[in-house]
Amino acid sequence: MEMEISNVERMIIAAGREIRNDEKVFVGTYWPLVACLFAKMNHAGSIYLIFEAGYVCDRIPPRIPLLSGDPSLAAASSCVGDSFTTLGMILHGGWCDVAMLSGANVDRFGNINTTCIGPYRTPSTRMAGSGGGCDLSCLAKKVIILLEHDKMRFPEKLAFITSPGYLRGDDSRYQAGLKRETGPHKVVSTMGVFGFSSENREMVLEGFFDNTSIDEIGRHVQWPLKVAENVKEIPIPSEDETHVLRDRVDPEGMFINRYRFAGKKSAV
Amino acid sequence: METRNKVVSISQAIREHVKEGDVVYIGGLIHAEPYFAVQELIRQEKKNLIISSAGATLWGDMLVGAGCVRRMITSYTWNPVPMPGYGFRRALEKGIPRPLEMEEYSLLALGLAYFAGSMGLPFIGAKTMLGSDMVGQHGAGAGKRIKEIDSPFAGDRSLAIAPINHDVGIVQVQRCDPEGNAQVWGCQAITTYGMNACKRLIVCAEEIVSNEVIRRDPDRTVVPGFKTSAVVEAPWGGYPSFMQGCYDRDWAFYPKYARQTETVRGFNKYLEDWVYGIKDHSEYVDKIGTEKRRRLSEVKRDTDPTPYGCHDRFN
Repeated sequence: MEMEISNVERMIIAAGREIRNDEKVFVGTYWPLVACLFAKMNHAGSIYLIFEAGYVCDRIPPRIPLLSGDPSLAAASSCVGDSFTTLGMILHGGWCDVAMLSGANVDRFGNINTTCIGPYRTPSTRMAGSGGGCDLSCLAKKVIILLEHDKMRFPEKLAFITSPGYLRGDDSRYQAGLKRETGPHKVVSTMGVFGFSSENREMVLEGFFDNTSIDEIGRHVQWPLKVAENVKEIPIPSEDETHVLRDRVDPEGMFINRYRFAGKKSAV
Repeated sequence: METRNKVVSISQAIREHVKEGDVVYIGGLIHAEPYFAVQELIRQEKKNLIISSAGATLWGDMLVGAGCVRRMITSYTWNPVPMPGYGFRRALEKGIPRPLEMEEYSLLALGLAYFAGSMGLPFIGAKTMLGSDMVGQHGAGAGKRIKEIDSPFAGDRSLAIAPINHDVGIVQVQRCDPEGNAQVWGCQAITTYGMNACKRLIVCAEEIVSNEVIRRDPDRTVVPGFKTSAVVEAPWGGYPSFMQGCYDRDWAFYPKYARQTETVRGFNKYLEDWVYGIKDHSEYVDKIGTEKRRRLSEVKRDTDPTPYGCHDRFN
């Protein structure tokens, strides 16, 4: 009997659909790994998957990478450089089309917090920090942010901006010195897909999954959520897409069945 | 050429070259992390260290939990399952076993700081990190080591990053000769720059090879021998992390470490098992276990021979 499609699978497939063929994609750790591999195996076979440690991966890895520095990537990469090759020359140098990363907390303007809850010097909860995430947020032309949806993870204002999105909205990102053609493009959660308003750069709901509603999503962010005029239901993963994800991308369920891998529910 | 044989034991290398309060560079990022050497830092109870590294994983959690670290210079601290590093969180949230200062950068900015340090540059410019709370009052030495400036040429808002230099560095590499010419392959992240920004360098090698081997493939050398202070023969020194071409990561170790070290008592028991209870390299290798070592080292695949050539006469 086919296993019912999970919210995490909806998120992965919706995110993967955002990637176009031939794009140079910078891949952050965890969910972006699965979503970008899904895109490459499903509809965008010629994308380059680029990693902060130095891998420029152009083929399918022999096993699913479990982190962004996974050695399995070496066998699938025509170019293994170092961080100056990837974060430096490709990302900072302007060759990266899209970056996908995880966000612990995301606010109204697509800023990301992966550092701390509470004051920086006396945090109540300390998280992992930036890694290459801040570089991706600053420098990629289109940033796609993935996270499992929880109201607590969508505060109006972050305790700490690790990785800048549109900062305070309008032109504030560009006044801070970041390039005009860069910035958050989408947020994909386990409830829906969000874009950013061209007027004031705030987050806008563009699509909702089949098992939720616009109202329910609105109740799960901590500010009055803007909704696009042409907001629509996101097509449920097709049989083909589900097959690609479950049988080719992650056949051993290392991500999708997370309990097997981490033995515990919590992530960073 | 007069050469020195710099091969010593890990205990001698750490004892001679790492002093209390030193700024210590730890090489690697996910790959090539010098766990065996880090354990020796804990065994010798080195204190008040300023630890600098691309990203601190289990080895960092161990050092912090063991009370060795005053300050951490890094871009990321976690248990890459991913799960939290409980040693880090206890130190940063509760000051257990002692308070920990953080000096945080993005990975690229940190690499650039190492690069500037390695070359003795006065500073280096970039367009990353602008708008992040890591710049200015919150991060990177409260604004003393990262500054927003207007570019002296185009005038646009830019980041100026101060150079980072270390008293001593510790790296795990695939091979090295007795003079200290260290060679690596596999993803290097920002290790090449970090290890070259050190006054003294300890190279832990999977294999000690002759200088002739080094000179048949000299492009792989990442640091010339005159910068190396000590060489340690330490196969499996990167366990439980992976070494390209040598061994895979012990994936199960990481969630197990997380579960065990969630409490202080569990953490101390872990140190008893994996640090204090091991007195030398052969005991470390034994503890990993024969069957596990066999499984993890099933990664062999050689490159095709490279006709590097030897241009040794006039024609």
